[in-house]
Amino acid sequence: MKKKLGVYICHCGGNISDYIDVEKVRAAIENEEGVFLAKTTMFACSDATQKEMVQDIETNDLDGLVVASCSPKLHLITFRAVTERAQLNKYNYVHANIREQGSWAHSDDKEGATEKAVQLVKAAVAKVRLSKSLEPIKIPSKKAVVIIGAGIAGMRAAIELAHMGCPVTLIERDHFTGGRVAQWDILFTSDQTGREIVSRLYNEINNSKNITLLTGAEVISNKGSIGNFRLQVKIKPRYIKDHFDDDKLKKVIAVCPVEVPDEYNFNVTNRKAIYQNPGQYPKYPVIDIKNCTRCGECEKVCDNIDFSLKEEVIEVEAGSILVATGFDPYIPQDGEFGYNEIDNVITLPQFKRLIDLCHNDLLFNGKAIKSIAYIYCVGSRQSEGENKYCSRYCCTSAIHTSIQVKKNFKNVKNFHFTRGIRTYGKQELLYYESQKDGDIYLQSYEENPLMVSTENGKICVKINDILTGNREISVEPDLVVLVTGIVPRSDTSISQIFKLPGGRDRFFNEIHPKLRPVETVIDGITIAGTCQGPKNVTESLNSGLSAATKSFSLVNKGELELEPIIAEIDKNKCTWCGECEKACPFDAIRMVKQGDKDVAAINNSVCKGCGMCLPVCPVNAINLISYSDKEIESMIDSLAGKG
Amino acid sequence: MTAINTDFGKDLSKYGAFDFNACYNCGTCTAVCTLSTEEDSFPREMQRFSVLGLEDDLKGSLKPWLCYYCGQCTTYCPQNANPGELMMSLRRWLISVYDWTGLSGLLYKSLPATTAGMILIAAVVLFYSFSVDFDLSRIMHTGHTFEIIAIVGVFSIILLPNLIRMWWFIILKPRIQVPVINYLKALWDLIVHMFTQKRALGCDDNELRWFEHFILVLGYLGLLFTTVFLNWFSSDSVFVIVMGYIVSIIVFTVTLIFVYDRIRKKDEISKYSQPSDWLFIIWLTAMGLSAFIVRLFIDTGLLENNKWLYLVHLIILAQWALIIVPFGKWTHFLYRSFAMYFHRVIS
Ligand code: SF4
Ligand code: SF4
Ligand code: SF4
Ligand code: SF4
Repeated sequence: MKKKLGVYICHCGGNISDYIDVEKVRAAIENEEGVFLAKTTMFACSDATQKEMVQDIETNDLDGLVVASCSPKLHLITFRAVTERAQLNKYNYVHANIREQGSWAHSDDKEGATEKAVQLVKAAVAKVRLSKSLEPIKIPSKKAVVIIGAGIAGMRAAIELAHMGCPVTLIERDHFTGGRVAQWDILFTSDQTGREIVSRLYNEINNSKNITLLTGAEVISNKGSIGNFRLQVKIKPRYIKDHFDDDKLKKVIAVCPVEVPDEYNFNVTNRKAIYQNPGQYPKYPVIDIKNCTRCGECEKVCDNIDFSLKEEVIEVEAGSILVATGFDPYIPQDGEFGYNEIDNVITLPQFKRLIDLCHNDLLFNGKAIKSIAYIYCVGSRQSEGENKYCSRYCCTSAIHTSIQVKKNFKNVKNFHFTRGIRTYGKQELLYYESQKDGDIYLQSYEENPLMVSTENGKICVKINDILTGNREISVEPDLVVLVTGIVPRSDTSISQIFKLPGGRDRFFNEIHPKLRPVETVIDGITIAGTCQGPKNVTESLNSGLSAATKSFSLVNKGELELEPIIAEIDKNKCTWCGECEKACPFDAIRMVKQGDKDVAAINNSVCKGCGMCLPVCPVNAINLISYSDKEIESMIDSLAGKG
Repeated sequence: MTAINTDFGKDLSKYGAFDFNACYNCGTCTAVCTLSTEEDSFPREMQRFSVLGLEDDLKGSLKPWLCYYCGQCTTYCPQNANPGELMMSLRRWLISVYDWTGLSGLLYKSLPATTAGMILIAAVVLFYSFSVDFDLSRIMHTGHTFEIIAIVGVFSIILLPNLIRMWWFIILKPRIQVPVINYLKALWDLIVHMFTQKRALGCDDNELRWFEHFILVLGYLGLLFTTVFLNWFSSDSVFVIVMGYIVSIIVFTVTLIFVYDRIRKKDEISKYSQPSDWLFIIWLTAMGLSAFIVRLFIDTGLLENNKWLYLVHLIILAQWALIIVPFGKWTHFLYRSFAMYFHRVIS
C-alpha cells in the first residue's frame, strides 16, 4: 500500500478549468488516504511542471503519482517518463482523464463535470495506492525478417531491409517474382515497363548477400510469435536442374504437346506445360506438374529435365514478418455487362495483355478493333454488393491504356462509360490528355446502369448519359473492355495461419490508417502493398518501404521490450477446462504439464492484456497484472462514492 | 436513342473551335455566363453537344446566338476548353447550315476559296472599266446601279431563303407549335435588337463595346442610306454631303478601334481571329475610308485625274456586297437579330 502520493490537476489552458473547478477538485482529494501533496497546474505537460514533478517526487520520496489531465493516449507516456526520471518505477503512475471524459463531454454542466472529475481522480488515487512496480517483459528478437510475397511491394521491402543490414527471406508462392507488375507494359508516370521495374528489383535482390529468395514456396504453418516466428515453408520443385540456354528452352517448349490457358496473359493465350514467361524472373523455366502428362517428350530433347526432384519443407525463423501478398483481379460474373455471354467483352487486364501481344494491328478473335467501349467501376463501388470500395487504380489504368492504344494503333476510337472519373493527383494529367485528344466520356449513376447487348450481330452499349441531360446515347463498339477492380486474394491461407484479421473490405487491416498504417493487431506482423487495400504501383512501393522500416525496428536490437500488463495464471487454482484458450483472440494460451496436472500457461510475448480470458474462467484463476480484482474494485468503490 | 458522331468535332474545328474536347463538364462556364438562364442554359450544353456531335440538336438551337462573346466562360474554364470560342464557331457553322448555297461554309473553311472569289470580283470590275474605256462618269453610274441591284438581289436570292431555312430548322423541323399572333408580337423585338443589340448589355463590363457597336451600326446604315438612296457621290446638297462625311468617318474610326483590339488581343473576344473576322473588319474600314476619300477628291476636283481611286472603292464595295454581306460575318448581324426574334416567338 502506497503512503506518499503526489496528485496534479491540470487546467489545460482553459480546456479543463473553463468547465471544471480544478481548485475544488484539489480540495476534495487532498485529504484522501495516502495523498501527500495535491497541486493544480496550468499545463501539466509543460517542461517546467514536469521538472517540478520530478523534484517533488525526489525531495518528498513520493511512491505514487496521479496526473488528472487529458486522454492517456496523448500523455500517458509523458508522465510515465516523469516518474522514471525521478527513479520511481513507471507503473506507479496512474492517469486520470478529466478532459475528454470530463470538461469536453460535459461542457453544458459545470457542476456535474466538477463532481465527475473529483470521482475520477479519487478512483485514480485508489488504484495507485495498490499499484506495484513492474519490469517490462524482455524477449529476444531474431534479427531476420520474412517477407511473404515477391511482388513489387515485397521486393522493394526486401531490398530496403537488406540495405539496413537485416537478413531477409523472401518467400514467393509462384515460381516467378514480380507479381502483377511483371504483367504490365508501359506504366504511368515513369514511362517504364512493369517488366523493366521488376527486372531491376530482381537484379538487386540477386546481388544482395542478405536476401534469400525462395520461389515456388508456400508458408504452411507458424509455430512462433513476435521476436521468434518459426515458419514451415513448403518448396515445390521446378523439375529442372542446372541452368540452360534460350535455344534449348525454345526446343523443349516446342516439343511439349500440352496446352493450357496462360494465366500470365489472363487466359487470352495458351502456354505449354513447360513454360517461362518473357518478363518474369528468375529466368528459369518450370514444369507445371499439374498439367504435365509425363509424356517424356521434353526429356528426349533436354537432359536438364529431372522428374525425380521432390517437394521439401524447411523451417525459417524471423523476428518479424512482412506480409505483401497482393490482390486478385476482379472476375466479372457471367452476364455482367455481357461478360462470357457476348463475344468481344473482355476485362482490362486481359485487354492490357492483348495490346502488348498485338503488333501492327489491334486484333481480337481475328477481327480488327477500331472502336472500344470502356465500362468503369466493374466490381467496385457496389453499394449493394461486397466491394463497396473504389479500386483506385482502374480509372487511371483504363485511361492510360486507352491513350496507349491510340498511340500504338491507327484510327482507334475510345468511348469511356464512367461513374465519375477518379484520376487523383498527377493522374489528372492523363485524363486531360485523353479528353483533349477526343476520347468521349459518358457518365451514369449506379442506380441507372448502362446496358450491353447485341443487335444484328453488333455489340451495342446504351447509357442514359447524365452529362447530356440523361439522354439515351448508344455506341456500337468492336470491343467492350470491363474496367475491373481489385479484390482480396481468394486464397486465405496466410490470414488463417497468422490469425490476421481483415477489415470491412476484407483486405488485411492496419491498426490505424494514419497513425499506425503498416502494423497489424498481431504483434510483429506488418503489411504492405495491395493485400492491405487498393493501391497503385507507387503507393505499393511506398507502403513496402514503410513496412520494411517498421519490421526492422522490431528486430534491430535483438531484444524487444513488451508491456508487462498481461494475464497471469494461478496454477494452483487452474483445473484446465480450456475455456480461456478458446476465448483468447491472440492464441496466447496453451496447455502445459505441471507435474502430472494439466494447467493453462500464458505466452508472455503474445498476450496483449486484453482480458478476454478473465470472465470465462470458472475458478477465477486468471489475474490481469495491474488490473487485479482488488484494484478494480477499489476504483469502483471510489467512483460510487464509497471510498 | 442518339448515336455519337465524333467526326463532327473535326468539322467544327475548321470553323475555328479548338480544344473543346477537353471539357469535363464542370459547368463553371454556365455558372459564370451572365446571359445564361435556367431555361436557356449554355455554353456547357453546347460544348457537350459538340463533343458528342449531336448535329440535329445544334442545328435547331438558338443558344449560340444568345451568346455575345464576352469571354468570361473562357477565362474561368479550368480545362482551357475555350467555350467562348466554341460558341463563336457554332455561330459560323450555323450560318453555313442556314445558307442554301453552301458558299458560306466553303468561304469559312477555305481561305484560298475566299481569296479566289475576291480576286475574281476585282477582275470583273477592272474588265468592265476597261471595256468602257475607263469613262469615270459611266463607271460611277454603273456603280450606283450595281449597289441597288446588289442589295435587292442578295436579299431576295440569298438572305431571305436562308432566313426561311433558319425558321425551318428552329421551329418547323422540331415541330414547335406557335400561335401566329406570336410572330406579330415579336416584331418589335426584332427591330430593337437589329438596331441596338441591347442584349449584349447583359454581359458584364460591356458598355463601351456595346456603345461602339451601336454607333457602328448607325454609321453603317447611314452610309448605306446616303450612298445608295441619296446618291452621295453625285449629290449637290450640302446636307447630304456633310452627312456622308460624318457617317463614313464613323465607320472607319470605329472599325479601326476594332482592328487595334484584335491586334492587341487583350480581351477574350479579340484573342482568336479567324480570316472571316479580319476580312469583315478590314473591308468595312476600307469601305468607309475609300468612300470618304472619293468624296473628298470629288470636292477638291482631284478625282478626274485619279480615276483609280474610285475603282479601288468600287472593287471593295463589290467584294463587300457579293461575298461578305451574303456569306460572311455580316450575316451575324442579320441572323442574330432573327434569332432573338424566333426566341421571342417560341417563348
Ligand atoms: S478507380 Fe475509377 S474505375 Fe476504379 S473503382 Fe474507382 S472510380 Fe471506378
Ligand atoms: S479458464 Fe481458468 S481453469 Fe480453465 S484453463 Fe483457463 S485458467 Fe485454467
Ligand atoms: S468550364 Fe470548361 S470544362 Fe467546365 S463545363 Fe465549361 S467548357 Fe467544360
Ligand atoms: S462568351 Fe460570354 S456570353 Fe458567350 S457563353 Fe461565354 S460567358 Fe456566355
